[in-house]
Amino acid sequence: MAVTFNKRDPVYVQVIRHFKEQIATGNLEAGQEIPSRRELANKLKINPNTAQRAYKEMEEEGLIFTEGNNPSKITKDEKVIGNVRDELILEAVNSFVDAIRPINVPLDEVVGLIKEKYTDKDGK
Amino acid sequence: MIEVKEITKKFGLKQVLKGVSFTANKGEITCLIGINGVGKTTIMNAIMNLTPINSGEILIDGEKLRKESYEKITFIPDAITMLPQMTIGDAMQFMKDFYKSWNQKRAAELLSFFKLKEDERISNLSKGNTAKVNLLLGLGLDVDYLLMDEPFSGIDIFSREQIADVFTSHLVEDRGVIITTHEINDIEHLIDKVVILDNGVVVKSFNAEGVRENEGKSVVDVMREVYKQ
Repeated sequence: MAVTFNKRDPVYVQVIRHFKEQIATGNLEAGQEIPSRRELANKLKINPNTAQRAYKEMEEEGLIFTEGNNPSKITKDEKVIGNVRDELILEAVNSFVDAIRPINVPLDEVVGLIKEKYTDKDGK
Repeated sequence: MIEVKEITKKFGLKQVLKGVSFTANKGEITCLIGINGVGKTTIMNAIMNLTPINSGEILIDGEKLRKESYEKITFIPDAITMLPQMTIGDAMQFMKDFYKSWNQKRAAELLSFFKLKEDERISNLSKGNTAKVNLLLGLGLDVDYLLMDEPFSGIDIFSREQIADVFTSHLVEDRGVIITTHEINDIEHLIDKVVILDNGVVVKSFNAEGVRENEGKSVVDVMREVYKQ
């Protein structure tokens, strides 16, 4: 689990994003145990308080849950997991649209290019 | 909590500290940053009562500094204070004999964490390993607060990474840490609180996550702004 953090976004937000990506791609499955706060801090080389903050937010968002003193787990709520996926897709599309719009390319041309590039494994 | 309140210090005619105030909480890493010569080490020495202050006050957990305070705090200077002919094991034994709060179990864990050997002589250690031994001797004590003067200074990148790893591990646990540094770049993600010093005063103090969240700035961005003025 190696994550490259940028220096200008809150680290806890970047940690949550990392978890969302792992959930959306299925690398983290519903109900799967996740590392303790301390383990996470150590793995990602971040401040333990930041790891704590990320877990607290994820708990509030319903992405993870903790029963008693057991390790925290990924939510089993399929709806929440579906939302995470939708959110990431929408975010990626939005940033693409923001980048392409100023270039004034006709939509058909963009769609054509996307179709062409998307199936191209190298993405070149 | 360590509370530093309006402390001043004059060396001869030079007013090094002109009323410095900040707090450092338990369970947090507080970083005193400033270019060289702004009085970072003087502040550390003041907390340890190695340099008496001219005015102001320093409180540990709400109490004025007294002899017992130093059972709660340890100071890790930027140079090793053990004799060069000692081995790492000798130095650890010295700490064990000398300090009631020495935790041999944690010290042994640190030894393997840093991949150091007990029979190595202090005089033969590289700069990076000297810094690690220094840290080991300080972290091996069961104290609530750790003061570290320039733990990342003048050592290679891999040693820096290893030392940084300690901060995210259980070896620091919930202790309060104050570190001084002028190289913040590779430890931005590790620290809770930043206190920027310049010209004998605190120019800015803030929470590192807070400044990223509210202003979209890195700690280095803020430093740059401060020193540009």
